[in-house]
Amino acid sequence: MPASSTHRPPVNRDVPLVRRQALEGPYVLLTFRHPEVAAGARAGQFVMIKANTVSDPILRRPFSVMRVDPSEGAFTLFLKIVGPGSHALAELRTGEEAGCLGPLGQPFTAPPEDQEAVFVAGGYGIAPFVLFGEELGRAGRRARAFYGGRTAADLQLCDAFDGLGVPLVCATDDGSFGHRGRVTEAVAAHLDTRPGPVTLYGCGPDAMLHAVARLAERRGVPAQVSVDPWMGCGLGTCLGCVVPIRRPGEARPKYHCACTEGPVFDARDVVWP
Amino acid sequence: MRLGVELGGLRLKNPLIAASGTFGYGVEYEGILDLSLLGGVVSKGLYLEPRDGCPVPRIVETPSGLLNAIGLQGIGIRAFVRDVLPRLARYETALIVNVCGDTVEEYAEVARIADVPGVAALEVNISCPNVKKGGIAFGGDPRMTHEVVSAVRKATRLPVIPKLSPNVTDVSVFARVCEEAGADALSCINTLLGLAIDVERRVPRLAFGTGGLSGPAIRPIAVRMAWQAARAVRIPVIGIGGITSTEDALEFLVAGCRAVQVGTANFVDPGIYARILAGFESYLQRHRLESIGEVVGSLRFPDGEAPGGPGA
Ligand SMILES: Cc1cc2nc3c(=O)[nH]c(=O)nc-3n(C[C@H](O)[C@H](O)[C@H](O)COP(=O)(O)OP(=O)(O)OC[C@H]3O[C@@H](n4cnc5c(N)ncnc54)[C@H](O)[C@@H]3O)c2cc1C
Ligand SMILES: Cc1cc2nc3c(=O)[nH]c(=O)nc-3n(C[C@H](O)[C@H](O)[C@H](O)COP(=O)(O)O)c2cc1C
Ligand code: FES
Repeated sequence: MPASSTHRPPVNRDVPLVRRQALEGPYVLLTFRHPEVAAGARAGQFVMIKANTVSDPILRRPFSVMRVDPSEGAFTLFLKIVGPGSHALAELRTGEEAGCLGPLGQPFTAPPEDQEAVFVAGGYGIAPFVLFGEELGRAGRRARAFYGGRTAADLQLCDAFDGLGVPLVCATDDGSFGHRGRVTEAVAAHLDTRPGPVTLYGCGPDAMLHAVARLAERRGVPAQVSVDPWMGCGLGTCLGCVVPIRRPGEARPKYHCACTEGPVFDARDVVWP
Repeated sequence: MRLGVELGGLRLKNPLIAASGTFGYGVEYEGILDLSLLGGVVSKGLYLEPRDGCPVPRIVETPSGLLNAIGLQGIGIRAFVRDVLPRLARYETALIVNVCGDTVEEYAEVARIADVPGVAALEVNISCPNVKKGGIAFGGDPRMTHEVVSAVRKATRLPVIPKLSPNVTDVSVFARVCEEAGADALSCINTLLGLAIDVERRVPRLAFGTGGLSGPAIRPIAVRMAWQAARAVRIPVIGIGGITSTEDALEFLVAGCRAVQVGTANFVDPGIYARILAGFESYLQRHRLESIGEVVGSLRFPDGEAPGGPGA
């Protein structure tokens, strides 16, 4: 059973592509017209979307909402082409349509008033933090972003926080850009400076999320992670997206749908593989 | 009621039903589509007790298809009757409970508990493994099929609709067994047993190993089996398998099915019901037909002779 959502129900519609901006390598920014997503999506929420120009693969794919423009009635995705579904979306021409359901899932919860939000992003996991940075900025909260990838070419959104007052630290495994090494090492170094109370927010590959959870536990700071399982429907009906979650006081982990009860979970509750 | 159909004592406003396991308990789609558009909704498979299901990956995509091993995760029949049914009461759609069991007795018990106002019929998922017989599916053996269907028949006054497994050599044998056991209609088909392999790691792509194949990939098989079942019995048949459009649904109706269920396509586009219903209307107009019932079983073979049974 889905958690009865406190948000507006998602809206299913065919959405025309309004803008396409190719970035380096396999990355692209896609803007679609969907007034309800534009008006209602919160950071951490996602859409299920599929180009109407192809029939196979048959299922829609989940993508985080990166930016919304309510006046234009449009939202933007930051997409990495990894397979046929993302490829077909990236190939859409302006005016061509995709089937799209959203906004879906539970968003990030803002930190308490006096705390700094620390974003930890790996690869395309940066997407929801652009929206989160804007939300927190409007609410007058402090945020800071750590953005990691294998190599410089994976860090395509370094300018997304310009003008938001969100300081950005980049890290690459090969040292081709920013700090050399894992992004979580850069976060640990920041925590070493005793920045005051913080909440960590993670979005990226499982291994990075696990590292964020361990770091949060060692330093005794709260953390929310946006998990990245396979998703088939986005509505809690296919039960393909379940993750084992053990809430405080529960003896055994239980499967929870990442699409309706997540994708954002308290890092302490996630049972890591 | 141009689109209305009658299914062994069950009246539906149109022949479109949401298939079990692909539409949750219906409530997940509240606010996204008008549930009253649908002729009926079949619940997820329900056992007596809640179930946790299989580990992940539970679903993988294959060409034009979906292979799943969910393991019938669910809330159990009591929670369904207590928590879900009241929320669905306000919709004008037939609610059908998909009855599961580890044993014949469990099927009967679930059927008894499901026999409450608000439930329109019971679909019997005979593809469940029989725990007393080493886990082989009830629906793969005519005698076990007969036992389960008669036990459910005795436990309820509601229309009983066994859901046939395609993982058999001759589906018409099972269709007849169900009719003899007192079934009011048949659902045809459940998923086809499949196996997808990760050749790099040389392991199954699903955590459970094998899974059930659904989606457009299975449609021609499903249409053939529904056609065979419809020829074998007098009770109405509900066609299921790979429906994504009006045309797909019409294939089953022309083949002899009185109604159809939409499964995997629910995951792809919740707007599918409105689309198929509009398509039915324009089809009736184009073919100058009064009602959808005139389409049912209208299949003609060019030489006037239908080919024989399996393998023919
Ligand atoms: C909540 C959520 C938000 C997401 N947000 C974004 C986003 O903002 N931008 C973005 O580019 N991607 C995002 N993704 C990942 C995106 O959904 C997948 O990359 C996409 O489904 C791949 O589909 P495909 O058909 O292109 O490739 P497929 O052929 O399906 O997959 C290609 C390869 O990618 C792997 N893969 C497939 N799905 C996932 C997944 N969910 N996570 C990790 N690896 C996967 C497969 O194992 C395979 O090796 C998000 C995923 C989730 C669950
Ligand atoms: C994820 C998934 C879960 C399913 N769960 C059930 C179930 O609980 N009970 C059942 O009788 N059939 C179940 N089915 C089978 C469908 O109801 C349907 O018979 C089958 O998928 C073929 O139709 P389709 O090709 O339109 O999906 C399930 C199918 C899928 C894909
Ligand atoms: S994606 Fe289908 S249940 Fe979550």
